[in-house]
Amino acid sequence: MSMKDFGYRLGEFWADFSKEKSGLIGLGILLLSVIVVLMEPVFLPYKDVNGNWRDITYWEDNPPAAPPAWTNLFAREKSAITARLDKPVITEEEDPELGMVRIYSFKYPYHYDKSPLDIILRAKGSGMLFMNLSLERPDGNTIFLGQVYQSDLNDDQVRFAVDTDASSAVYEFIRGHASEDAIANSDSSTIKPTNILFAKIGEDMLSARNALKGDYYYRVKVPMSLLENEENKISDLKLVVTGRVSGVLGTDTAKRDLYSGIVAGLKWALFIGLVTSVISVLIGVMYGIISAYFGGFTDTFMSFIFEIFVSIPVLPVLIVLSAIFKPSIWIIIAALIVFSWVGPVKTVRSMALQIKEETYIEAAKALGSGKWRIILKHMAPLLLPYSFANMALSVPGTIVFEASLSLLGLGDPTIITWGQILHDAQSSGATLNGLWWWIVPPGLFIAIMGMTFAFLGFAMDKILHPKLRTR
Amino acid sequence: MYKWYALKRILRGLFMYALLMFIFSLLFNQVNEQTQRSQINEQVKMESVKLRNMKPEQMTTWRTGRYDQLVKLYKLDRPLMERVLFRAVNTITFNFGKSTIIKSSKGEQDVLSILLEALPRTMLLFTTAAILETILGIALGLKKAQKPGGNLDRSTSFVTMIIYGMPSWWLGMMLILLFVYVLKLFPSGGVNSVPTPAGIGFVLDRIWHMILPIMTLVLMGFWSLSFVVRNIVLGVLQEDYIMSARARGIPENKVLFGHTLRTSAPPLVTMALLSLLSSLSGAIIFEGIFSWPGLGNLYWVAVQQNDIPVLMGDLAFTTGIYQAGLVLLDLIYGFLDPRIKVGGKA
Repeated sequence: MSMKDFGYRLGEFWADFSKEKSGLIGLGILLLSVIVVLMEPVFLPYKDVNGNWRDITYWEDNPPAAPPAWTNLFAREKSAITARLDKPVITEEEDPELGMVRIYSFKYPYHYDKSPLDIILRAKGSGMLFMNLSLERPDGNTIFLGQVYQSDLNDDQVRFAVDTDASSAVYEFIRGHASEDAIANSDSSTIKPTNILFAKIGEDMLSARNALKGDYYYRVKVPMSLLENEENKISDLKLVVTGRVSGVLGTDTAKRDLYSGIVAGLKWALFIGLVTSVISVLIGVMYGIISAYFGGFTDTFMSFIFEIFVSIPVLPVLIVLSAIFKPSIWIIIAALIVFSWVGPVKTVRSMALQIKEETYIEAAKALGSGKWRIILKHMAPLLLPYSFANMALSVPGTIVFEASLSLLGLGDPTIITWGQILHDAQSSGATLNGLWWWIVPPGLFIAIMGMTFAFLGFAMDKILHPKLRTR
Repeated sequence: MYKWYALKRILRGLFMYALLMFIFSLLFNQVNEQTQRSQINEQVKMESVKLRNMKPEQMTTWRTGRYDQLVKLYKLDRPLMERVLFRAVNTITFNFGKSTIIKSSKGEQDVLSILLEALPRTMLLFTTAAILETILGIALGLKKAQKPGGNLDRSTSFVTMIIYGMPSWWLGMMLILLFVYVLKLFPSGGVNSVPTPAGIGFVLDRIWHMILPIMTLVLMGFWSLSFVVRNIVLGVLQEDYIMSARARGIPENKVLFGHTLRTSAPPLVTMALLSLLSSLSGAIIFEGIFSWPGLGNLYWVAVQQNDIPVLMGDLAFTTGIYQAGLVLLDLIYGFLDPRIKVGGKA
């Protein structure tokens, strides 16, 4: 088949395909997901999610099990959304206690009803480092949060979390304002600092927690005298306000951002699905043709092998194989191919048996064409189009197989797949705790991928099949 | 002769099963032998505790002697092929040995009794679901075929495509979320509540536990089944004798159920059984979600506890059921379709 021929047939195919509405929808979703895979960094809020999915420290600034940020739209009481502030305003002024100081101040506009869970300051420091941290509230009160003093730093990360490191300092603040009864009934370990920091001052501030809305200023004071020494440096100041809702799809109990996981899992779903089904269908088609063309003992033997593979329940065998050999994703793909090439064999074999008797095959034989030339040049091109629909239709099954293995905890731990996200959800009891944002999206995306390829496959099936019959 | 056809098919099924068991035993030979050796070690240790009045040297010689004896008993000292064959024969005769951790409800560690305890539960769940699925699928399929291209046909076909790649276990998770967490209507899993009620209460309690998993299976299955039924029935409805039956004034329902359904029975039964077989394979994951203690859930537990003998026994059992299903499929098909019998004479 020449290039021109191929182009003509492709054009003909497209003319038919563009009439299939569901096929076009499928193609659209497929193209969209390919674009997302190719431009993955643009869509990822956490750029290093690949490789860091199981690294607890990478995710430690996130809230655990937080619903998606857009749930605020439906909630009567708005929850604080996770915010990242990395552009502090730098000023220098005279401080009564510390002398000349450089002040890094972060402005955080707070207009929610439920306070954030934590405020975390991160910085990189060298040499000796001293920071005085405070928060100025909209009502004019300035709350001293704590001090960070560390020496012998060598470009190390410094972290100060209000929730753990400032609880006693915040307790001092409520002593002056809340009623004595309330104070007597609490101590610094039972109160949550952020609840106090973002509440209106009053006798009942421990229980009522009326939100004080407005602009908050988080100030980091570093004495100038310290910075005059060349060896002491401070850089990369970042403030993470950990909200009660977070990101596009929320977080799981291990504080991981689920949207990043879903986006990173897309390429694996596509890759596993496409590679496995393309290769296995090609093998199946060739197997059917060879078995039909050679006939005789070869046919009997190949049919016997085929029958063995058909009688194997695929998923149980795959589960036992991966439970025992703990394979990587490449071995899993190989195993999937080994067990799923049988799909098209039966149909292709019977079709090839018909084609084999056609006169042009006889003519080719008479002209002295070799067996393989006839198989590859005359039979395969006729039967391959049939297999395209088959490829598309076997993609969803493959994705579900991998997801099922991962759900059992038998997936490759070096990558992120939707099945693994569901495994984590299942083993932490997400269904019974109502963490729907952890369960719905991964499965929904598996289903959408399956639907996409079903649309494509059924549309192609409609177009390609009758043609083959009329030839 | 149907008799010969059936006999031939059954014998071929048995041969295939034996062959598969041999392949499995070859494939998992190493891990099987590791487990067996550690089980022997364990047994020797247990037995030596009971022994008294023995000097340390005597004890060690007794231990190595006993160990060698057991190794010989399990043929671990024989050449590779013989070991593999021995184990395959053991598996075929349902001699699965003892589990390492998992116990049956009576406390037995015999793998066979663990499996036999789980088998009826799986069967209960899946036959009930299959029956409901088939009834609903055929009903909807007939409705669809009556007006092909109509609103009902188009919309249900669309749903079929949408759920084509949806994992049934995920739908199960969603239903648990909805019916257990939000509406609090059904239990989240298990076969019975604790304490288990007696008498009629037991049956009701069992049904209450079955509703959610069966709902999932039926919701997943009957769409695609109805799609297949529609295609088969549609083909038959275009035959001349249907037209003539209608022309004779035979009521539409009688045409549909008497004439059409009877002719399309063989492919319908095949499709229904095939869908049941494929859903059995997915049951492994599915049962785990609902903690339904059947064969599928056993995989889940065995993987987590790394109990190799149970895993192997379960695999052999599932393969056997699958194989039996394939044989049954051909037998029913041959019975319903007279043309098959002619070709079946041995």
